Amino acid sequence: MAVGFLTALVFVPLVTDDPYLIDVLVLANIYAIFSGSWDILSGYTGKENFGHALFIGAGAYGAAYLNLLLGVPPAMNLLLGGLIGVVFGVLIGIPCLPLKGPYLALATVAAAGIAERLIMIFPRYTGGEEGLYGLSPMTSGPVTDYYVSLLLLAVTLLTLMALGYSQRGLILRSIHSDELASEASGIATNRYKLAAFAVSAFFAGMGGAFYAHYQMYTGPTYLTMIMSINVIIMCMAGGLGTIVGPVLGAYMLTISNEFLRSIGDLRVLVYTGVVVLIVLFLPRGIFATLFDYLPQKKGGG
Amino acid sequence: MILLEILVYGAVQSSVYALLAVGFALVFGVARVVNLFHGSFYTLGAYVTYSLGVEAGFPMVLSILCGMAAAFLLGAVLDRYVVARVRDSMIKVLIVTLALTLFFEQCVYHVFGPEHLNIPPLVGQRVTLLGVDIGGQRLLVLAVSVTVIAVLWFAVNRTRAGNALLATAQNPEAAELMKINTRRIFMVTTGLAGCMAALAGGIVSSFIMVYPKMGILPMIKAFTIVILGGLGSLGGSILAAVIIGYLETIVAFLISADITDLVPLVAIFLTLVLRPNGLFGKRFKV
Repeated sequence: MAVGFLTALVFVPLVTDDPYLIDVLVLANIYAIFSGSWDILSGYTGKENFGHALFIGAGAYGAAYLNLLLGVPPAMNLLLGGLIGVVFGVLIGIPCLPLKGPYLALATVAAAGIAERLIMIFPRYTGGEEGLYGLSPMTSGPVTDYYVSLLLLAVTLLTLMALGYSQRGLILRSIHSDELASEASGIATNRYKLAAFAVSAFFAGMGGAFYAHYQMYTGPTYLTMIMSINVIIMCMAGGLGTIVGPVLGAYMLTISNEFLRSIGDLRVLVYTGVVVLIVLFLPRGIFATLFDYLPQKKGGG
Repeated sequence: MILLEILVYGAVQSSVYALLAVGFALVFGVARVVNLFHGSFYTLGAYVTYSLGVEAGFPMVLSILCGMAAAFLLGAVLDRYVVARVRDSMIKVLIVTLALTLFFEQCVYHVFGPEHLNIPPLVGQRVTLLGVDIGGQRLLVLAVSVTVIAVLWFAVNRTRAGNALLATAQNPEAAELMKINTRRIFMVTTGLAGCMAALAGGIVSSFIMVYPKMGILPMIKAFTIVILGGLGSLGGSILAAVIIGYLETIVAFLISADITDLVPLVAIFLTLVLRPNGLFGKRFKV
């Protein structure tokens, strides 16, 4: 299904060259990368990271500095942004290993909040509220940008799914169900959790670097709590611990959020209202609930 | 001289944080719910005080009381119809209450607009305390907060209803068997917490910025203080509120007011890394 979804997306630019639509789809690809990468850590192990924006921002600011100060080309920065993400993932992951639930939520909120505040406090080096402008564009045009984002999404989605459905993914799930039991069965859960932090942060950082080059800009909005929360909401809407679900959730919410622009000011009101209803009434996310109904209509097909 | 100023201003700041954190801690300890909507009660308190006290011309005290009543009702409804549906899942509670915070913020934005509102103080004149010149309203805040927390302390530890609350906190099933209506306890607790946050929002509204997003940072601070103080420990939360309040005041006076918001974030991150159970607390079972 994931392959079908990606293949369909390959043909979009052949059907339309509307730059607005292409832009929305690039955004959807970026958020899909963020959501999928959140899911491999948090959806799988149940360690909910409320500071995913830190990894996104690390990749974005890292790419910005490398590009502006050292002239590193965008393509290279995608990889480096991911690696910078990994550094942060490990740095945050190690002290957070014993934490869970609200403790982990607060620790990760605080870590991202500290980074955001520091950027505001030292505007001379970080651009402060205005951010950093003038990054090299990712590619020469919107359609090629779109294909790069799609390629990144494909790599992210397929890697994470391969990981998620492998034995390692099963181990991550076992941490979710009963961490003590998996530890008692001889699994070094801490090592797996830390690896999940690193993988999650890698793709988030890579996505952040792409986002920065795509917008030719990096700003503190990449680092805000709203960014982290948005990613979690997309994952919950899509269904946790499935990789595909969060990716679809990101697509659905990014696109509907854009269409809601037509109602102007009321957009955020409607959006947050819908999110509350989804979490309250569709406990396993939209797609899992949808798939439950599909076979019945087709007679078990 | 600056020490005395820190002493007095820090006490005011700490008392506001304590008022916010004690409610948060109650809900956390009794209903096992991390209610991220808490900051919105604070916003609600300030805006009800504004619309009744300034726009409609009601007496200020009455306006603040109305804000508290509104927050109590909203808290009870929130617990009964929203939180009750997702109580078993920590992350759903977090996300739903956070999404509702954003929703509420948008409602306020659409009704009152984005601008900062001015609310006159209850007590206008300035007072000298320990040689420190301070606005009378700030001293009023200190007095009200200390009184309310003392009353709450007495009510929780010395009354029958307080016992029911503590019993529910210890073991909801056993409390239910003792004919305690735990669902009502949860509702009342959330309502009370909202009430205290609205009181805080109402009385500080004359010397802080009142705008739609004003509740977010206090909510994070309350969360920080409660985790720092340890679960279910009202005393721990009050102590943690004093620590954070004074740390912020010291940083504001000696270094720069720009970095005060960094203080609780760094404090909580270091605490969680070094002492995962909070400074004085027992561990919360997830």
